[in-house]
Amino acid sequence: MTAKALVVAGYGLNCEEETAQAFSYAGLGVVIRHVNDLADNPKELESVQILAIPGGFSYGDDTGSGNAFAQKMRLTLMDHLKKFVERDTLTLGICNGCQIAINLGLAPAFDKKYGERVVAVSHNLTARYQCRWVDVSVQSSTSPWLSGITRLHVPVAHGEGRFMMDDGVLATLRHQKQIALRYVKPDGSAANGEFPFSPNGSTDDIAGITDETGRVLALMPHPERGMFTSQRDDYATLKDAARRAGKSLPDTADGMDIFKNAAHYFETAKSRKSA
Amino acid sequence: MPQRIEVLTTVEDGRAKTLQGYFANMGKSVKVRVADVYTLENDIPDPANLNRFMTSFVNPVIQQATLSTDAKPSVPGFPHDWAVEIGFLPGVTDNIGHTAQELLALTNLPPQAVYSSQVILIQGDVAKEDIDQFTSTLHNPLIQRAHIQAGVKPLPVVIPKVKLDNKGIAIDTVDLNISDDALALIGKDGIENADGSRRGPLGMSPIYMKAVQAYFKREGRPAKDIEIETIAQTWSEHCKHTIFASPIDDVKGGLYRHYIKRATNDIRAAKGSQDICVSVFKDNSGAIIFDDQWLITDKVETHNSPSALDPFGGAITGIVGVNRDCMGFGQGAKPILNRYGFCLADPASTPAYYRGKGKKNKMLSPETIMKGVINGVNHGGNCSGIPTPQGFLYFDDRYAGKPLVFAGTVGLIPRYINGKPSHEKRALPGDRIIMAGGKVGRDGIHGATFSSVALDEGSPATAVQIGDPITQKKMSDALIKEIRDLGLYHAITDNGAGGLSSSVGEMGGDSGGFLLELDKVPLKYPGMQPWEIWISESQERMTLAVPPENVDHLIALLAKRGVSAWDIGSFTDSGRARVSWHGDLIMDIAMDFLHDGVPETPLKTTFTRGGEPEPDLAEPDYRDAMLSMLSRLNICSKEFVAYQYDHNVQGSAVLGPLQGRGKVFAESSVSRPVLGNPRGVVLSQGLAPRYSDIDTYHMATASLDMAVRNAVSAGCPIEHLAILDNFCWCSADEPERLGQLKRACEAIYDAAVAYGTPFISGKDSMFNDFKGYDEHDKPIKISIPPTLLVSGIGVIPDVTQAVSLDPKQPGDLIYLLGTTRDELGGSEYYALHGKLGNNVPETDIHANFALYQKLSRFPLASSLAVTLGGLGVTLAKKCIAGQMGMNITLPDDLRFDCYLFSESTGRVVVTIAPADKTAFEKHFGSSARAIGTTTDQPVLTINRIKIDIMDMDVAYRKTLKGY
Repeated sequence: MTAKALVVAGYGLNCEEETAQAFSYAGLGVVIRHVNDLADNPKELESVQILAIPGGFSYGDDTGSGNAFAQKMRLTLMDHLKKFVERDTLTLGICNGCQIAINLGLAPAFDKKYGERVVAVSHNLTARYQCRWVDVSVQSSTSPWLSGITRLHVPVAHGEGRFMMDDGVLATLRHQKQIALRYVKPDGSAANGEFPFSPNGSTDDIAGITDETGRVLALMPHPERGMFTSQRDDYATLKDAARRAGKSLPDTADGMDIFKNAAHYFETAKSRKSA
Repeated sequence: MPQRIEVLTTVEDGRAKTLQGYFANMGKSVKVRVADVYTLENDIPDPANLNRFMTSFVNPVIQQATLSTDAKPSVPGFPHDWAVEIGFLPGVTDNIGHTAQELLALTNLPPQAVYSSQVILIQGDVAKEDIDQFTSTLHNPLIQRAHIQAGVKPLPVVIPKVKLDNKGIAIDTVDLNISDDALALIGKDGIENADGSRRGPLGMSPIYMKAVQAYFKREGRPAKDIEIETIAQTWSEHCKHTIFASPIDDVKGGLYRHYIKRATNDIRAAKGSQDICVSVFKDNSGAIIFDDQWLITDKVETHNSPSALDPFGGAITGIVGVNRDCMGFGQGAKPILNRYGFCLADPASTPAYYRGKGKKNKMLSPETIMKGVINGVNHGGNCSGIPTPQGFLYFDDRYAGKPLVFAGTVGLIPRYINGKPSHEKRALPGDRIIMAGGKVGRDGIHGATFSSVALDEGSPATAVQIGDPITQKKMSDALIKEIRDLGLYHAITDNGAGGLSSSVGEMGGDSGGFLLELDKVPLKYPGMQPWEIWISESQERMTLAVPPENVDHLIALLAKRGVSAWDIGSFTDSGRARVSWHGDLIMDIAMDFLHDGVPETPLKTTFTRGGEPEPDLAEPDYRDAMLSMLSRLNICSKEFVAYQYDHNVQGSAVLGPLQGRGKVFAESSVSRPVLGNPRGVVLSQGLAPRYSDIDTYHMATASLDMAVRNAVSAGCPIEHLAILDNFCWCSADEPERLGQLKRACEAIYDAAVAYGTPFISGKDSMFNDFKGYDEHDKPIKISIPPTLLVSGIGVIPDVTQAVSLDPKQPGDLIYLLGTTRDELGGSEYYALHGKLGNNVPETDIHANFALYQKLSRFPLASSLAVTLGGLGVTLAKKCIAGQMGMNITLPDDLRFDCYLFSESTGRVVVTIAPADKTAFEKHFGSSARAIGTTTDQPVLTINRIKIDIMDMDVAYRKTLKGY
């Protein structure tokens, strides 16, 4: 049986369709589920292997981005979410979904304390929404989402993407290799908070974190907006070069690797089990 | 007892840092913190419950919450010298407050009102005057209150609850058997209240009032107030577009029918089986074929007057309003792209204009207006999850009194839904009238005319609307993504101008009548008069025609998505527009009088060509001239807007607003709305308001030509391109202005037919004049330059054919397509010298069409239309975008500055790979002139001029960099 992803929707989340498309393209089963329907039937989480909270503007970012939606999920679904992440499943929070996952305490969840909030994702240092392409380098080698990936050229689009935490939490994140992604300059060197390479001034250039298992990934950039070559900001250049070289461009781009990794994870899990 | 919860962000967050920057610019070093305040109307007495509520919106990692009362100092957690609190005035949409109310419900606490405000705490040595100035930049007194407090003291607890002073609900009878003068006064200043005051302008001419008088004479009874208000709304310029509909000179059919609609009809007839139009002019948006399965829809609206008063509210309402024109197309289209356009005064200018004599009601500054409108579309578009890849900013100081705010939305809808054409809809007799979305308040009542009314603290609730994108997003998702294809409703339309009176009136036109039960319409606050409920423009509402057997199901499905809906009446075939109030019929007008009873007002025009003698300019230092041109407001980069508008949500972006490694701001974009389908949507626009000062015919052809040329330059086949018109005029009661309008209409008929690009939708706004007082208290009238925005929407069969503007490789060949003439009249180059000139660009529509047919049929490496600023600017932009140099040789048959800066239309600069040379020259023939090659040197060389690309890059970006 193909592993199946459930993509949450509703209340101003708005990237559910393209996120579902990404899973589908990677060969996974996928369903888009309104959070109210999921709250009515939380057992559906038992029948899926991947949970994705996509990007968007849930509740208009009022009371802090992701806060109100996280509160809604916390009050209606928390026990089921805990059970879900404790199983051998994958969870992905993208952009607003990242803010929700972190407000829910699904990451970093030190000592498996899912539900405890220790990181904040706050206003960009420019205090302005930033929609632009960035480069991120993969730090965590433990996350199945990022297996085999070293760099990603993907867009961000957020007003509140600045990871903030106290020094103790930062040290633990580093020590436990839970910093999954960092913003870098195009040459691969550290962004060091420098705008626009770091679009938000995030602590330690953090663009995404995981839980201790690496199975929960919360990231601010949008891999689903950089999954096809035609979405890339340098598409016209790549297309022209390919035409001159008499080559065709690959359909997919960096972002798709994340979704393919999810498919791969469950394929190998299956073969592990059957072996 | 109200309770005030103050949530202090203890760390220096992005907001605090930016506010500190304000003081740093004044040379003051301060520390700032921000506290978000939530005021509960009634206290939550149980501390455990209160704590649960507070934890629902306090992020413990960076925030701490305190409870404050009148007696306790506010926000003691951060020692401060000043506290500035900004909150909303009564009745103004408070989206954060709404979310806090939802959190209350989630926490299982009894529902009550929650009001949001923000306190900015300043620690440092700053004078009161500086704080006053700072505060004035933070809020708009029309919709917000500000309170400044020195030191750590209690801030007053404010409950901005609407209290209407209506002395009971009344349905007034209005006697129309009165003198013509008294009748005219009603039309001008509104119906008289019992106390002798008037309700506000109806905008009804004496001719209109006589028609109303005659109608009620025929009916044999006096009119009721709501009936007169309804007729005024329905017949308003805003709704009926009377200027475009009226006979004008010898054009009996009026401008719209004779020029615009006829152009589309002629084009469709000529195209025959190749016709791309599906639904034009009749619906909320126009629609063309996308492919065998899909239609794309488009509509561009203006929201000018509201944006002059509340730039943020005006612009956000503009964008979420036009989203509903998409949702209200046919059975409901999904919004897939937003576009915007702002015509503004120089943000660095500081004119002092007042709406009232005695320096009262000062106009907002150009900078405040610019920031506000940009922010409004930012919030509205981003929150709605609709990409905004396409737009423009255009500057002329005559927009200081009336900025123009254009907002457009493209939609996607299957051609057939459940086997029926999706663009068709029809309310049937017996259908219930369902209103979905938000409740009704006094928002936007007499909105079209409020700018002439003095505004004070008591009135803003009625004047200004602020959109709530999340309420609308929930409704849009539920209706378009889940409910539409279930076939539960016969028709859907938007509630925009005129509110229910307009939406129900229009839909009732199909069924043949309606009976609306006004007492069933849910209100935001009690005390509204029936006529106010009927014409209110409260946002986020759609009206649906639903067969009775589907009503419960539909309302239940919406409720599951957190969307409210109400059954408020029925469509009938009575031939009457009827409204009841608790069982009593308070309105009963014949449908045909309401819709077709508007009297014709024949218009007369005159026309005089404008312009000044051609200036005698010395040849400039060309390097300086090029750099000055690149820094001009109408040429420089607008990237600060592009970066703050989400342009790649929905995953559809192909060519965005910023192109090339050098990120040059583009005038067209390409998107792929159906993932997995190679077809693309191309958006573009064109406008040239300065040409109106010489001749509106050439202004209009140039605008249309630019829109078309920008689209075909990006790879759109001209055969699959449609256009939209937005006329923003001024003083449209003066024969000379009407003459300019008529000439512009003649022009776009000629050009659209020549290009075969049909109009599918349009909108006009005819009185963009500011009447007020200048800094010396002298009366002043500022009229905008007659402005025609033409927007293009086309379909490219495969996005691999999309062409970006940046050159791709050194050694490529550069060609200029089209002819450069001595046409500097109205140009940016003349404007740089403070001149207008006379030789405005005249568009050779037939030569251009021949070129445009060829453009999309050749694999170009890059392509950029020559628009404002001319060839020199185009070459510079290409160098900046590609971050590579060019060696250009231009002929000397014109003076060099004319060659560089003439704005002759119909021209495109393209680059090609050397291997394509033979095929290219064969394909384009004599319309292409080889002008040089790209290089790997960082220099643009044109004949003997050399300019470093880095210098051009700086010049191009510096003007608006600080915003």
